Amino acid sequence: MKSEKTFEDLMRWRLAEAATGSPAPPSATCLLELIRPWWEIWPAQFLDAVDRLGQINLNYGHAMETAGQYRGGHPVPVLIVGEEDSLKSSARVLYLDVRDGEFRLRFRLAAAGLKAPQRYEVTFIGADQRPLFSAEATLFMNNEYHLASELPEDLAELWKQLKVTDKLPFRLIIRPVKAAVPSSTCGHMCL
Amino acid sequence: MDTLEQRRAKTGLPASAAEGERHFFPAEMNGGGLPTSMPAESTDQLKNLMAEAERLESAGLGARSTGDESKAEQCFLAALGLATKAFNPTVISLAPAEEMSGLRLNLRLALRCGEADQARKLIKLALASVPALAFEDEWIQLRESATWPDEWLIGAIRREPPDVAALDALVKRHWPLLFGRCLVLTANHPAAADLAQDAWCRILRSRKRLKPGGNFPAYITTVATNLWRDDMRSISRAGLMARSRMSSLNEALPGDDENSATLMDILPDLDALQQQDRNHLALEIDQAMAQLPPLLRDVLSARFLNGETCLEIGRRHGRTQQTISGWIRSAIIQIRTTLENQGNTLKNMTHEK
Repeated sequence: MKSEKTFEDLMRWRLAEAATGSPAPPSATCLLELIRPWWEIWPAQFLDAVDRLGQINLNYGHAMETAGQYRGGHPVPVLIVGEEDSLKSSARVLYLDVRDGEFRLRFRLAAAGLKAPQRYEVTFIGADQRPLFSAEATLFMNNEYHLASELPEDLAELWKQLKVTDKLPFRLIIRPVKAAVPSSTCGHMCL
Repeated sequence: MDTLEQRRAKTGLPASAAEGERHFFPAEMNGGGLPTSMPAESTDQLKNLMAEAERLESAGLGARSTGDESKAEQCFLAALGLATKAFNPTVISLAPAEEMSGLRLNLRLALRCGEADQARKLIKLALASVPALAFEDEWIQLRESATWPDEWLIGAIRREPPDVAALDALVKRHWPLLFGRCLVLTANHPAAADLAQDAWCRILRSRKRLKPGGNFPAYITTVATNLWRDDMRSISRAGLMARSRMSSLNEALPGDDENSATLMDILPDLDALQQQDRNHLALEIDQAMAQLPPLLRDVLSARFLNGETCLEIGRRHGRTQQTISGWIRSAIIQIRTTLENQGNTLKNMTHEK
């Protein structure tokens, strides 16, 4: 005789079955490798990217924008690093907030014509050309992305007063997330 | 029982104390960051230090239970400092029973502070000193980081660098259920594994914010769910999700009790299925779930796995309780229809005797 089953029972049964048959978890070493900053993994590529980023003229951003599109503060130089080449561009910061150590940012890329990936890994580069931190940005709409990330304490204090209309103390190197860590880095351990 | 000198020799750790002193701890094991030397104190003073350490530990536990992790951490670190001070090699010794009690306190505090390496050294020292401890349940658990509670493991991965063994243990412990939750959301095995891994990476990037006293399984499930929702929103905004599938949600039938749409008349007894049939049914449920819009999978997961009410789900989506209830009822009807249309598999399932 069949027992009475509600949909909740079915969901919980499926969950238990999925947990029982789950694939092997990634190892701690693999996970720690995955979160290792890319500039530590590929220092030469990072230096090259920073060099190219430094060549971007701030006016470049203005040139890319039409008057109707203008929104936000100063353009921020952006280098979009693809798997094979890179593209010099700029971004308008539309929203910026630092609260309780958390940094929230929304920006619009000026790279018109590109198919916008769902996620970018955004690396913030300081005035001294050093990487400050990186965070993942998610596509919001069109070429607009948003990100939220915990800030290092010193940066959180420094950036607390920043406004969208300020000249921002960073430039960006952005990379599509899927290209962030090639599978060869972690070998078969990674999913 | 071995003399303390013999115990010390067995540990392989340097015997930094003067001859005749009775304590477990070599000088370099001052995990609290406090000076390793202090003037000789009376036994009473040492006991007072221990009592104060215990008081601070209690205060830390109190703070942790109320979610004040910052205060908890301060209390535990201060307590560990005091406990370590009380066992400094240069001070007057305590009775063996009190030494063991002090060792336990030190060990417990080291684990609460996430000092996994220090804890392992203390465990090694204790087991070398009193080999019989190796057979006691408490010490068997202490020796294996895989059996440590989440609180200790999380404490250990918040350190820089994180403790790899602790991270391995925490991942292994929570991976199966996390994967299951991701599978319900994505209805796709590779996507579920990717999502679960992404959730771990997200957590590790901001691991210093983890609360050792919090509900970790719920937290990592929330992180995975939020990542998935972000992706779904992006896809939706990018116009990749069929609008017809989304608009059909507005036509969902309202119902008083969404869970009343039972499946009992088409499902076999889940508890009595043979393995092959379990696998078939799981696959068919996945296929049925995959045909639902992602939003409905999210709502079903929130309602039946998280235990959220329709009102709570409705607030998140800007919809009324009745609408959410209607969505759920509609989703169940869709799943039921898909399962019915999937042929005879369900009907032909045999039960284990």
